[in-house]
Amino acid sequence: MTSLHNAQQQADSGYNFAYLDEQSKRMIRRGLLKAVAIPGYQVPFAGREMPLPYGWGTGGMQLTAAILGRDDVLKVIDQGADDTTNAVSIRRFFGRTAGVATTLRTPEATVIQTRHRIPETPLSADQIMVYQVPIPEPLRFIEPSESETRTMHALGDYGVMHVKLYEDIATFGHIATSYAYPVTVDDNYVMDPSPIPKFDNPKLHMSPALMLFGAGREKRLYAVPPYTRVESLDFEDHPFEVQSWEHNCAICGSADSYLDELIVDDAGSKQFVCSDTDYCLQRRDQQLSGEGAQ
Amino acid sequence: MVQAHSSEWLQAAFSDPVLDAQLSFRTALKALAEPGLVQTMDRALELDSLQPATYALCLSFLDGDTPLWLAPRFDTPMIRANLAFHCGCPIVAEREMALFGLLDESELLDLSDFDNGSERYPDQSCTLLVQLSSLDNGPQLRWRGPGIKDVQAVELPVPAGFWAQRKARSNFPRGLDVFFAAGEHVMGLPRSTHVLHNNHEEAA
Repeated sequence: MTSLHNAQQQADSGYNFAYLDEQSKRMIRRGLLKAVAIPGYQVPFAGREMPLPYGWGTGGMQLTAAILGRDDVLKVIDQGADDTTNAVSIRRFFGRTAGVATTLRTPEATVIQTRHRIPETPLSADQIMVYQVPIPEPLRFIEPSESETRTMHALGDYGVMHVKLYEDIATFGHIATSYAYPVTVDDNYVMDPSPIPKFDNPKLHMSPALMLFGAGREKRLYAVPPYTRVESLDFEDHPFEVQSWEHNCAICGSADSYLDELIVDDAGSKQFVCSDTDYCLQRRDQQLSGEGAQ
Repeated sequence: MVQAHSSEWLQAAFSDPVLDAQLSFRTALKALAEPGLVQTMDRALELDSLQPATYALCLSFLDGDTPLWLAPRFDTPMIRANLAFHCGCPIVAEREMALFGLLDESELLDLSDFDNGSERYPDQSCTLLVQLSSLDNGPQLRWRGPGIKDVQAVELPVPAGFWAQRKARSNFPRGLDVFFAAGEHVMGLPRSTHVLHNNHEEAA
């Protein structure tokens, strides 16, 4: 792991820088400019084959390949963790094809590709988040026709989204949607924030970092510029709420991070730990060094 | 005739086509994501009357898929030859056909006919690359919108008529996105930016 950490790697020869050819990068880059100019609008792009299957982050990887430069420091997380298969393989992929430095630390990264989490550590200006998106169209579960959803976006016809949330309330007494919770971007487009837990939705609002979203199978990309209003859909009498836990993290004791539930033995005992491994580790290190100083 | 001698017009473009294009694009992305802030773009040399930042924008955006409309001032054999060689972009005479427009300040009073997209496909619109002599010392305006934390004071030296033209071609999500370039600097003006002329008046 130490060789990955902040190490400038030797790029494999035989690939163009960051794998994609220059013409593909330019096409994606032009799409990104339009995505930034029209926050929340899904820009179609000519998605390329990547050397891993759809569903493993091909959309996010194409965006990362198009923006990545020699001086970037890349962090990749999968459900908050730096050490899961998807995160490790994508980090190694760009280490090999671009020779960029990689890191596990959120504040050190300039580009963070993520599958379904936003780091707990607050993001800063000049950081770019790249989200892997399976289904970019928030209206798709209600309206299967692309032609129809495109018209609905053009007309701002989003009443059905509230009907879907209302059905939750009618069935469960509360809004049961807990991830991929739809948001309105700058009072215009309704957008799928990718399957991040709704716990992370407030972090999108007025974030200093640029947010880019890439869907490889569906060949769509979209963006939320820094300092953009991002509001989760809700009702006056059922305001948007994020998840909370009765437990603290079993490792670092955090009371305000997103927790994963772990079954730790055959008797079914449970533990709750931070989903963001870097955040958890940093807190633990601080606590240990604090104890060491005493 | 020009064809036969076009090699005489050719100049070097980016010294590192891959990394200079990447750096220039990232600068452009930042400029558009943070409207009204001046960014440095110095990876290209000037080409004829194209200043370094303007030429860097061309080199990083344009290729065979991007029809370009050239303002008369930039329609010179040298610029045509270099854009054809380094970018391979078709140069079109009709504004409606262009995905990119390369303009100087004398063109700012007429933005008609540039494609501003449709309600269903607002991304299929023209991006304007506007070369100015500087990016400051104009009348002060305040910009607001995505990418701007509160309000951004901007002193672009563009005629008042430009803002009327921009407003006439804007109907969000339709609209024109603009990069202003001067020397080695660029500034982005996406369609999502609101331009405030007086304290609370909203003009675009």
